Amino acid sequence: MGILAPWFLFGLAALSVPLYLHLLRRHASTPRPFSSLLFFEPRTQSAVRHRRLRYLLLLALRLALLLLLVLAFADPFLNRPVAAAPASRLVLLIIDRSFSMRAGTRLEDAKREALAVLARRRAADRMQVMTLGSQLQVLTAPTADAATVRAAVTGIEADDSRGDLSELVSAAREASDNSHTAIELHLFSDMQRSNLPSNFSEMILPDALSVVLHPAAPDDTPNWTVISVTAPPQIWGSGPEVKGGSVQAVIAGFATPAADRLVSLYVNGKSVASQRVHVPANGRVSVEFPNLVVPHGFSRCEIRIDSADELPQDDVYRFAVERSDPQQVLFIHAESDARSPLYFSNALAAADATAFRAQSVAIGAAARLSLTPYAFVVLSNVATLPQTLQSELQRYVSAGGSVLVALGTGGAGHERVPLFDSAIQEVRDYSSGSGGAHERFLTVGETDASQNWMGNAASWSGVKFYYALRVDETQAQVLARLTDHTALLLERKLGEGRVLLLTSGLDGLTNDLPLHPAFVAFMSQTAHHLSALQQGTGARIVDSFLELHAAQEAGTAETTRVEVIDPEGQRPLSLAEAQSTPTLRLSQAGFYQLRRGNGREELIGVNADPRESDLTRIPEETLALMRRNPVPPSAAVRSAGSTGKQPYPLWWFIMLAALLAALAQAWLGDRMLRTTTSEPGLNREAG
Amino acid sequence: MTQRFLDPDVLTSLSGLELIARTVVNGFVAGLHRSPEFGFSQEFAEYRAYSPGDDLRHVDWNVYARTERAYIKRYRGETNMQLTVLLDASGSMRFQSHATSKMDYARYAAASLFYLALHSQHDAAGMIVFDDEVRSYVRPSTRTGQFARLLSALEVAEPGARTDFAKPTLHFQEFLRRRGLAVFLSDFYESPEVLMRAIEPLRYIGNEVVLLHVLDPQEVRPDLREPSILIDLETQQQMEVTPDYAKFEYRDKMAAHIAALRERCRAADVDYFLLETDRPLDAMLRQYLSIRHERK
Repeated sequence: MGILAPWFLFGLAALSVPLYLHLLRRHASTPRPFSSLLFFEPRTQSAVRHRRLRYLLLLALRLALLLLLVLAFADPFLNRPVAAAPASRLVLLIIDRSFSMRAGTRLEDAKREALAVLARRRAADRMQVMTLGSQLQVLTAPTADAATVRAAVTGIEADDSRGDLSELVSAAREASDNSHTAIELHLFSDMQRSNLPSNFSEMILPDALSVVLHPAAPDDTPNWTVISVTAPPQIWGSGPEVKGGSVQAVIAGFATPAADRLVSLYVNGKSVASQRVHVPANGRVSVEFPNLVVPHGFSRCEIRIDSADELPQDDVYRFAVERSDPQQVLFIHAESDARSPLYFSNALAAADATAFRAQSVAIGAAARLSLTPYAFVVLSNVATLPQTLQSELQRYVSAGGSVLVALGTGGAGHERVPLFDSAIQEVRDYSSGSGGAHERFLTVGETDASQNWMGNAASWSGVKFYYALRVDETQAQVLARLTDHTALLLERKLGEGRVLLLTSGLDGLTNDLPLHPAFVAFMSQTAHHLSALQQGTGARIVDSFLELHAAQEAGTAETTRVEVIDPEGQRPLSLAEAQSTPTLRLSQAGFYQLRRGNGREELIGVNADPRESDLTRIPEETLALMRRNPVPPSAAVRSAGSTGKQPYPLWWFIMLAALLAALAQAWLGDRMLRTTTSEPGLNREAG
Repeated sequence: MTQRFLDPDVLTSLSGLELIARTVVNGFVAGLHRSPEFGFSQEFAEYRAYSPGDDLRHVDWNVYARTERAYIKRYRGETNMQLTVLLDASGSMRFQSHATSKMDYARYAAASLFYLALHSQHDAAGMIVFDDEVRSYVRPSTRTGQFARLLSALEVAEPGARTDFAKPTLHFQEFLRRRGLAVFLSDFYESPEVLMRAIEPLRYIGNEVVLLHVLDPQEVRPDLREPSILIDLETQQQMEVTPDYAKFEYRDKMAAHIAALRERCRAADVDYFLLETDRPLDAMLRQYLSIRHERK
């Protein structure tokens, strides 16, 4: 037994205070009136003796309280043999199964080392097996059954996820909080530097945890990989009209010497082009394959290199390219509006002649059309819709279609915006000066910076708006506003689709946008946005999430089913999940196939996180910081039989005893003092 | 049947001695179950044969009609009873251990006796307030307004100096020449010998004397929890006393004092009754009158 803070023992001098108060200080008694002292006799000596005897218990309690407080602050401890509690240890076996563990025999080595730790365990140890990837996965509950642990370790397979050591710390903290026994954590990993969190403070492990690291790779391993590919997601047209795109790939080497590598472009499993490039030492190089031509429909494209390294799985980069005929766009306009279809079709032709083709119809003829073949629909200067067309448009949008509504001057005098279903609150005719503006027009004041397809407000500079309608924007997302804060462009999701509302027009009367060069870019970007064409390559990385269902609004959404087929040809979603799950985590590298509710099919190439290709190890000094308690595995096992001393703090028990003493003295003191001050009959003033 | 009596502290909360007196008297009268034989006089005693010289008004003519013999109805105290309350207003009467002081309790008892005498029995009632001197005197009378005068005198009677029975006794004899009932209300902090020497002359001249000993329960059974300094309310003397003494020796002395008083009173044919101020006044008066009735 010992004391960690002996200086606090000077506090024992405080014991003199209750001694003085109880024994040395003369008791001051307040005289009390009594009717007559005829039958009394003075008795003084016995009074002091009586007082001392009476408060003896209270004095003892107060002395004990002070003594215990001083002792608690002095922090005494008891030396207890470590081996006294051999059964109280939990051994966590955490095995890295991230993508990089596919390199060489890393995973097999890790599993072999884990089985070795299992073989050296103490009889009373409980063990638990977990795997580390982008998430920590618990394979077994804490158990003393070696067969269960062995089976779990043996069955571990590497996946395509990225290892995240911060997940390890979270799990270790949780285990430390939930377990009252000593915990020994064994991590079997290739200790990739890229797996460390950006802030090392996130790697601080609980104090009651001893960490044993088992690096599965002895040194930095050279590795070449295709780190990124840029390719067009869609190619339109057929025959001589086809407009092929170019494919750009970046080849990188980590801890590699300078070397020549053969880079090949594969389309649907066939090599269509190859180039030999020189990759500098520990550097990267860019490769371009011009004029990518793919057959109609979706094509599975890959960039491959001949790396001859330990991790061949990252030598291929998958991406999907779709070739299709130009998409049809239905432009519905008022009978009297001949200008807006002209402006719109010309703008689309100027921007993406091979991607979109506009079909203009007057409102009267639109009711007979089926909307399914169209990429999106435009309503221009249409204030009211025939009932059949209204219903058809609602079904079209709910199933995933998109509509652009340009109000123009047609909305004036009506209460609600067709299809968008927002109230029309006010007509803003700036050309008449009624809006209070100094000029007879307004410009775009602000745009939503999160909408990349729109561009910024500067791209709208010079566009004059003479007329707009102010609408109720409570249920919509405002993408652009005029300088008087009138919403110009709004978006609202209805079911699986979306409706874009332009509160001005496309006819050149309510603004000069069609006459402005920005109109072509705006129409092109809007067309791509509404047709849901991807702006980048048809490629994602593992552990990213794919949006399956748009956020549903009450009363507007009809549940549609999304079919997903993973790279192994399995359906990862059940029927219920296919109707309700908003997102899907892409957990494997390969090609995912999707069929959305509106019948549109998609193909997505999924690749491992490029950070997993960097096999550089964590520096040794960082590993030493992680260990904190550098007990080698053999030593850890040997320590099981040792009988070393470990200080066991006693302050908690002493504080508990002090609390009890405080409560007892408070109760006793209150009882004594209360009865003393309320002497029945003798404390009242007479008369 | 449980009798509900009036708590002295409840009486203290009442305003006005007349209301208190009426409440107390009504309370203990109700407790006597409408007995016609209560009070100090007009109590039927016996019949005796008429003899020449007797007042013919007292002949029971109904008996004469049936028996043709003249009988005289005799009553106890058939002469008009004169009640005089001698109220001790010494400093010790100021003491109280609860809401009702001894002085207040004595006031209530006196007022109740006055109410009983004047309103119920139409007897004369008077009062002497004394400590070491006679402080005030209200001549016994049955006149209209006598009750109010007595209550007024009670209201202004405040505890003053120390008790001295010897000095005012001479005045008592002067005031109480006519036979009557003299009721002492006091805590009697005096030796029984001195007290009886002062009282016995009143008995000799034909007065019936009653000692109502008013004590606070803490005077009878003091409960000290710690050594204390006590101040005598009459002499202002200070004394440190101990709980042990108060618990044993004092109680013995007080019990002996009460016993001596009771014994000396019995020997001198003087009524003695102890009134503790935490006891219901109506119950105490009823108890005393019942005992008195049985004894007479």
